[in-house]
Amino acid sequence: MSDKRVAQNIFDELMEAPPSSAVSLQMSIDHYLEVLRGVLDLFASKKEADVIYVTSTISFDAIKRVLEALDIETSRVFFVDCISHMTMGASSGEMDEHTTLVESPTMLENVMLKVEYLIRLSEAAEKIVVIDSINSLAIHNNNWILSEFLHILVSGLRARNVYTIILSVEEHSTPEINTMVSLVCDQGIRTNLKEE
Amino acid sequence: MVHRSGDRERCGTGIDGFDTVLYGGIPRANTVLLTGSCGTGKTSLALEFLIHGALKGENSLFISVTENSEKMLANIIPYNFFEESLIKSGKLVFVDLPVMYERLGMTKAELTMEEIDLLVAAIASLVRELDTKRLVIDSITSVCYKLKTSEKIRDFILKLSKALTDVGCTSILVSEMSAQASSYSMFGVEEAISDGIVLMANMERRGDLLRTLQVIKMRGTMHSRAKYVLDLTPEGVLLAPLLKGGSTGT
Repeated sequence: MSDKRVAQNIFDELMEAPPSSAVSLQMSIDHYLEVLRGVLDLFASKKEADVIYVTSTISFDAIKRVLEALDIETSRVFFVDCISHMTMGASSGEMDEHTTLVESPTMLENVMLKVEYLIRLSEAAEKIVVIDSINSLAIHNNNWILSEFLHILVSGLRARNVYTIILSVEEHSTPEINTMVSLVCDQGIRTNLKEE
Repeated sequence: MVHRSGDRERCGTGIDGFDTVLYGGIPRANTVLLTGSCGTGKTSLALEFLIHGALKGENSLFISVTENSEKMLANIIPYNFFEESLIKSGKLVFVDLPVMYERLGMTKAELTMEEIDLLVAAIASLVRELDTKRLVIDSITSVCYKLKTSEKIRDFILKLSKALTDVGCTSILVSEMSAQASSYSMFGVEEAISDGIVLMANMERRGDLLRTLQVIKMRGTMHSRAKYVLDLTPEGVLLAPLLKGGSTGT
């Protein structure tokens, strides 16, 4: 499958997912940009949804630069950044109402609270929460607490008719992480179909 | 929200997660001790309780003891749901207790039993006059410092609580305690007399400091006894369950 078809394929599969679905999106690291395009551009635009993007991998400003380079609209993307504070990379000058920081990716309750806060602020009928990524959260948290976090977060979002998309990187995943994600998700999408 | 027949009428705090923990809110006319060490969010939660009450049309009164109410308001989180008109219309009233002390001629460091009765009567009179349905005293600990003995503290809180309950006023008494305290209040008396105890704390976990909330007791209702993590936001106090996988066991 060509990289360009990856975004379209993700869009097609997400469009088939029932409302308030939790979707596991396992990608090859090479497909990261196409995943962003498929989720944030094609799917979110089609749904006219606000996106709450939880990043524990790279900082919100780095993702914003990528989205701008890809010509993806960012006005409906709100960030919960779990990494900038910890890496001392965030300055108040860079912050705006679209971004909220969590001090550390180990403060998973605060991630839930920031997501809740942004959901309350959003006036969009459809909302999508993206977790980027379960692998980077697993660097900082043990599987027990991470599993508990996912269960509570996804159950709460499902009850409020919010889509959840959990990103994982195939090259960095473990059977334990895959099991953890599959337990809370209704549907799985894989981008690494080159060998298939 | 769970409601059971025979339940007492509730005073919904307006704080979603907190009302869920309390199965619908504080039983009407209860006197609740909101206790915790500094920086745990007691004043923010208490003020939000009053603002939501005022927004619902219930007259709400904040008696500030330690801090000038204007200064306190300037430092509080700018809630998205706060309306200046609540103060202008008298739905939300702020009174500084030191001003009341002065007007009542209570200038000495320690109050006598007669002065305690006078103070309780003055607060009760204000509550009746304003037809107050929700009251916060921030903090009761500062009042207790002027009472000195546990007998006087017990007498003061019992009389105040009765006076407030008699007029159907739901009250939150903010109590300060040290982080290492083994009881739920500074003098160990306040907790025994209150209808409810809500404990707010800072919990350290692997170097992270989490604000937590736990309802220890609440007469007149079933309630969760679990510990919750809270966040103070412009949308108000938000609660999430404390993840057990990371609990230190404390």
